[in-house]
Amino acid sequence: MFDSLFNALPVALQFGSVVSLFVGTLVGILIGALPGLNPVMAIALMLPLTYGFDPVIALGLVAGIYNGSMYGGAIPAILLKIPGTPAAIATTFDGYPMTRNGQGGLALKTACWSSAIGGIISAIALMTLAPLLAQVTLAFGPTEYFWVAVFGLVSIAVLVGSDISKGMLSALLGVIIGLVGVDTISGAERYTFDSLYLSGGFDLIIVLIGLYAIPPVLEMAEKSNATYYDAGSFKVDASGNALGLIRQHWRTWTRSSLIGVSVGILPGAGGNLAALLSYNEAKRKSTNPESFGTGNPVGVAAAESGNSADNASAMIPSLTLGIPGNLVAALVLGALMIHGLQPGPQLFTKSPDVVFGFMWQMLFTAMLLLLLGGMVATRLFAQVLRMPTALLVPTTLVLMAVGVYTVKGNMTDLYVMLAFGLLGYLLHRLAFPLAPVVLGVLLGPMAEQNLRLAMLISQDNWGSLFTRPISQGIIALLLMVLFTQAWKILRKGRQN
Amino acid sequence: MKTLQLTSLVALSAFTAMPVMADDYPNRPIEIIVPAPAGGGTDNVARMLNQYLQEELGESLAVLNVAGGGGAIGVNQIARAKPDGYTLLSTWNSPITTVPHMQRVQYSYETLTPITSTSQSAYTMCVAPDFPAETGEEFLAELQNNPGQYTYGNDGVGGTMRLAAERIFEAYDIEARPIPFGGAGETLQNFLGGHVDIYGGSITPALPYVEDGKAKCLLVTSADDNEALPQASGLAALGHPELETVLWRMMLAPEGMDEQRVNVIADAVASAVEHPEFQAFLTSQGETLNLVRGEELRERLHQETVAIGETLEKLGLKKN
Repeated sequence: MFDSLFNALPVALQFGSVVSLFVGTLVGILIGALPGLNPVMAIALMLPLTYGFDPVIALGLVAGIYNGSMYGGAIPAILLKIPGTPAAIATTFDGYPMTRNGQGGLALKTACWSSAIGGIISAIALMTLAPLLAQVTLAFGPTEYFWVAVFGLVSIAVLVGSDISKGMLSALLGVIIGLVGVDTISGAERYTFDSLYLSGGFDLIIVLIGLYAIPPVLEMAEKSNATYYDAGSFKVDASGNALGLIRQHWRTWTRSSLIGVSVGILPGAGGNLAALLSYNEAKRKSTNPESFGTGNPVGVAAAESGNSADNASAMIPSLTLGIPGNLVAALVLGALMIHGLQPGPQLFTKSPDVVFGFMWQMLFTAMLLLLLGGMVATRLFAQVLRMPTALLVPTTLVLMAVGVYTVKGNMTDLYVMLAFGLLGYLLHRLAFPLAPVVLGVLLGPMAEQNLRLAMLISQDNWGSLFTRPISQGIIALLLMVLFTQAWKILRKGRQN
Repeated sequence: MKTLQLTSLVALSAFTAMPVMADDYPNRPIEIIVPAPAGGGTDNVARMLNQYLQEELGESLAVLNVAGGGGAIGVNQIARAKPDGYTLLSTWNSPITTVPHMQRVQYSYETLTPITSTSQSAYTMCVAPDFPAETGEEFLAELQNNPGQYTYGNDGVGGTMRLAAERIFEAYDIEARPIPFGGAGETLQNFLGGHVDIYGGSITPALPYVEDGKAKCLLVTSADDNEALPQASGLAALGHPELETVLWRMMLAPEGMDEQRVNVIADAVASAVEHPEFQAFLTSQGETLNLVRGEELRERLHQETVAIGETLEKLGLKKN
């Protein structure tokens, strides 16, 4: 296997491939940085243009857009509190407060390095452990997926902050939003109010853009009489050298990358879950958890390395098993098929140059982030902050609307986005935390569907939920998180 | 003066007649709605066909993926679009012939303009190598003898694969337990991991595992056998060709599209599919060409809608 890996290196380094890596990464950063535009759409648009080319060029573009957009999403998250992609939600928690504290430059740099490191670790996992990790993917059936979802939901306990009841209400709201639509197991319609639009359920991207991107814009508009930032307060490169960053964050990077890789190999989980779990773990492990949410660079490092580490590892089940881990992976599989390559275990032996070349490309684009990310983000995007609010607010709103509209060309999506925007603004005003809403939307349906699938398979034998070793492992982790958190809260209560 | 009148009359008539006589359709990009997410089977075939179709038409085709509601959301969007030939639908059969039985939709096969069908493929059922059956007949017998014991992964309530399986199981008086997954990928994952006994889904994802010896595919849901799966029996070989349920793809337009324009597209599709690269692609996807146009296509949709309605009624799934 390592022979083929190194034989593919020249393929990934040929001229066309290198050009596509640069172009892809740049486009990816831009796409990621524009809220509403997402990598899936960009890749779906670009792939048909490459049908005539060598698959290596097409895949180079995919790798670039994919890795680039993961970092690009962090840029508006840090500068404006608007996540450019759903996976960048956790980046807003500490990234934006850092900008407000005058550390925007440091936050961007931290995000760039963290994305790159997460991407590199993930690519190395893909290159060396893919066949092994693919077996782990297969070991996860509905029972295990159920427990993963419950584990994610329990981590809300870490996210809620001071007001537990508000956090729980937020999470419930998320679960209810996630319930809308036709139930895939019984075919029954839930909360659709006889509307055809609702029978399809809410599109996650639209809900998240509404909830997360519109409230900050409205907040900006409230302060329309002044420039949002004092142009002088944003220092680009006066902060943090590489060595210092590595020394400060290597533990967080390692931990978050492991979380990202583990979430990545589970089809259907995704980068937003990876980022939120990484953030939680970093907060839980921290000696100073109160500083999270007020501009702690570790929070940015955890979120960004977590979501980027999801990327390459999500390709593991698709390349080794032919099972797409997410929409980007599905597009990659589609592109391979269009080029006459059959995804599945034989892909490694039949077209090693393409598969291993793609792995190198994932690695190189993660590295390119350090070069291009710094350039684009700090030199170009940071200038956005110098824009007067009167221009910034409408521009951002228009960009988001265009982004959402282009997904399906459906006006109703825009109204739904605005409605969720108002809901998000209201929740924000009432000091309800928004992160549990996201986890509820993501994990509520995942827990429910998989529980019911598990019950269908075991014929309603509840004991089967606890007998399998992986389930038991996850339950143990879950109890640990729950008890340490409960203990912390109790101790704090006693101190007060 | 008379000449002037005559010329102006000729000029005028030429002018008014122009849109009909010299219809240069298409003269701008055409939007193709695919009612499934990017990267899926329907999307791949549609995009591949578009490559050759835009050469034929001389205009570019832009794909818009409008997934959701089992495809109903996208078809609904096309049903409300202008029938000017610049918004077309590239779909598989289920949103047209199955979904309307189960959900309220704002379209019907009777009102959409049929253009042409393009290709079709069967579904397959596969089991692990140690499953006690080696042929389609033995497979069905094993299921018959063990009612309620085996689980089969499928594409969900109202999914075409599930319907295909239920039609066969009903005829053989078989009781197997359906486990509804999100699609072939998820089903394959659970089948390979041993979480369900039977893989039910499209042929292509299963092929590498047949080659590896990790799966035995014993049945295909078409009347004919399938070359790629020599161990699998077609339904004709089992004596039940009438139980055939396949996945097929077609292009449709909103109600009232001009017949001439319909023919422009249908002719272009007919030449586009002749492209050897497209045919090679279809073969690699386990699909075969199937071109049925116009009213014949509507008739096919009618028959399938009725047949599926009956099956759903028996399963207690029919709502409309």
